[in-house]
Order: sequence, then C-alpha cells, then structure tokens
Amino acid sequence: MAKNRRLIPWAIAAGAILIVIAIIYLAESAGSLPSFFPGHEAGSSHHHIKHGLLAFILGIGCFVFAWFQSGHSTARSG
Amino acid sequence: MDPISYFQGAVLGALQGIAEPFPISSLGHGVMLPRLLGWDIHQNDDYFLAFLVATHVATAIVLLLLFLDDWKRIVRGLWRSLRDREIKPDDTDARLGWLLVVGTIPAGAVGLLLEHPLRSLFASPASAAAFLVVNGILLLTFERLRRRPPRPGDYLGDSDARIAKLSWRQAVGVGTAQAAALVPGISRSGITMGGGILFGLSNEDAARYAFLLATPIIGAAGVLKLPELLGSTGDGVRGPALVGALCAAFTTYLAVKFLLRFFETNRLTPFGVYCIAAGLICTVIFALD
Repeated sequence: MAKNRRLIPWAIAAGAILIVIAIIYLAESAGSLPSFFPGHEAGSSHHHIKHGLLAFILGIGCFVFAWFQSGHSTARSG
Repeated sequence: MDPISYFQGAVLGALQGIAEPFPISSLGHGVMLPRLLGWDIHQNDDYFLAFLVATHVATAIVLLLLFLDDWKRIVRGLWRSLRDREIKPDDTDARLGWLLVVGTIPAGAVGLLLEHPLRSLFASPASAAAFLVVNGILLLTFERLRRRPPRPGDYLGDSDARIAKLSWRQAVGVGTAQAAALVPGISRSGITMGGGILFGLSNEDAARYAFLLATPIIGAAGVLKLPELLGSTGDGVRGPALVGALCAAFTTYLAVKFLLRFFETNRLTPFGVYCIAAGLICTVIFALD
C-alpha cells in the first residue's frame, strides 16, 4: 500500500467526526437528531442503531487507515 | 398454532443451507418456495425474520468451522500487519485478511442502510422469480466475460496467494456488488464468484474467496438480529428455528464440500441455466395462480 503521510491528519479527523456521529445516533432518538442528519424524524422515539453502527465502523476504518499510513514505507503494488 | 411448523422449519432450513453457498439466491428461494407449496409464510413477517436469524447464524458458524484454520491464519496476519503498521509484500495472510475487510465494509454499509427498504420493495415471489432470471443471466455473463478458462491443475498450489493478488479496488468492487444480493433472487455467492472470475481467479479460488467473504457478513447480519429471535418476536418460532438451524448447518456443510470439488473442474454455467429455467417456470406459475 502506497504511504501518504499528508492523509494521516485528515483520516484521524474524519474518524473522530464519524465516531461522534455514531455516538449521537446511538444516544439520541430520531426526533432529537439534528435536522441535517439522515434519519431525522420529528417526534419519533426510534433509535437509528444501524446508522450509528455504520458510522462507528467507518470511523474505526479511518483510524486503521491512518495507523497504516504512519508506518514504514514498503513498495507494494495493488 | 405455531406460525412455522417443525416440518416447514426443517425444509426451509435445509433449503437455506444449500442455497446460501450455491450461486442461486437463498433469499429468492426462501420467498418462492412457501408460495409454491401454498404455505402461509411471508418474507417480511416478524416471526419469519426471527426464523431466518437462526438459519443464517447456523450457516455462518459452519462456514467459520469449515475454514477455521484459514481464519486463524488470517487473523494472525491481520494482527501482524497492525503491529508492524504495514502489509509486508510476502505476507499473504495479512493481505487476504485486509482484502476481506475492504470487501466486507461496503456490503455491510449498504446492507445496514438498505436491507429493510429493499426487502420490502422486492419481497413478492413474482419479483424474486424475475430477479432469479436476472441472476442466471448474470452468471452466464460472468462465464462469458471471464479472463481465463478453467485449466487442469487450477486447484493445485497456494490458493490464498492467488486470491491475495486481487487489488484493493477489485476487492471493494466485489464487496460492493455483494449488496445486490439484498434483492431476493440475486445471489451473494454468485456475484462474489462472478466478480472473482472476472478479475482472473479460477472457479475454485473464486468460490473459496466467496465463502470467506460470506462468513463475516452472514454472521454479523445474524448476530445483529439475534434479539429478534430471543425476544417476543421469536415466541412460537424458536423450536422450528432450532430444527431449521440444524438442517441449515448440515446442508451448508454438504453444499460447501460439494462446491469446492465441483469448481475444481466446472463452471457457473449449470447454475445460470437453472436460475433462468426456475425463474421463468415460477414466473409463469405465479402469473397463473
């Protein structure tokens, strides 16, 4: 995997944002979500667990990407 | 009276176990068979979803056990790469592990977001029969466009090393295409095997990649929905679900063993022809019904 250290802060920032979004989805009901969030539904008490789970997994993915980018450089095609 | 009888549970479980690894769509068959047999079972009923959880978990457990040694190597490879913060060029297990992760994430993401709407939209037996025809055409197209024909000795040597030569883009492509299997009638293993074949894998390597890729996604889908089986929705279904899970486990084992030997020398073509024929026959039956 080609290494690009300039991507590390962006990946960490994206990961942190996604984890925060995940927490909001898991903690807040659909009615309490910010109106620009997908799944916002005024007055609904439903929790979008799946949205939260997805944001969490993608957040972890960003951190893993940043972790690999911070390692030693080794040439590898693909 | 139970919503699903023990006999129905056994039949549907056995069908799920066969149709999940075969490239013929377990979901599509699960929608069509009850209608063909005149059973009052519908894909979107809560109790049926609870039943499906058990059979899917059973299928995932069998797939995990069948490839347990591979998974142990893959997990060790993943750990090695995380520790070293790089995937070493000669570390096939690490590379294969990350290809599986990269292929699973898009399918999981689309599945989490679209599973319910897609299942609601395409849950009718007539729609499943039509998409089964589409699945058959796709399988035949994969065979037509394949990069290389099956050769004697394809199954010799290190299969994982050949699979690990897939690029990241190819892994994401195959993983994303898996999401099409949310539509009843389209086969997850068919799409994955077809993708592998298009990218130059032999049939056997493509089947092996499909089974490895299926394990986490089927397992995660099952585990995520376990509360439905263990909660009130599962009342009256748990007994038949257990029987169905045992039947699914048994037939999954037989199906995977059969397919790995079948694909040493054979192609997807017979499954494509079957899907087109079965889809057309069922379409006519449902139209006349």
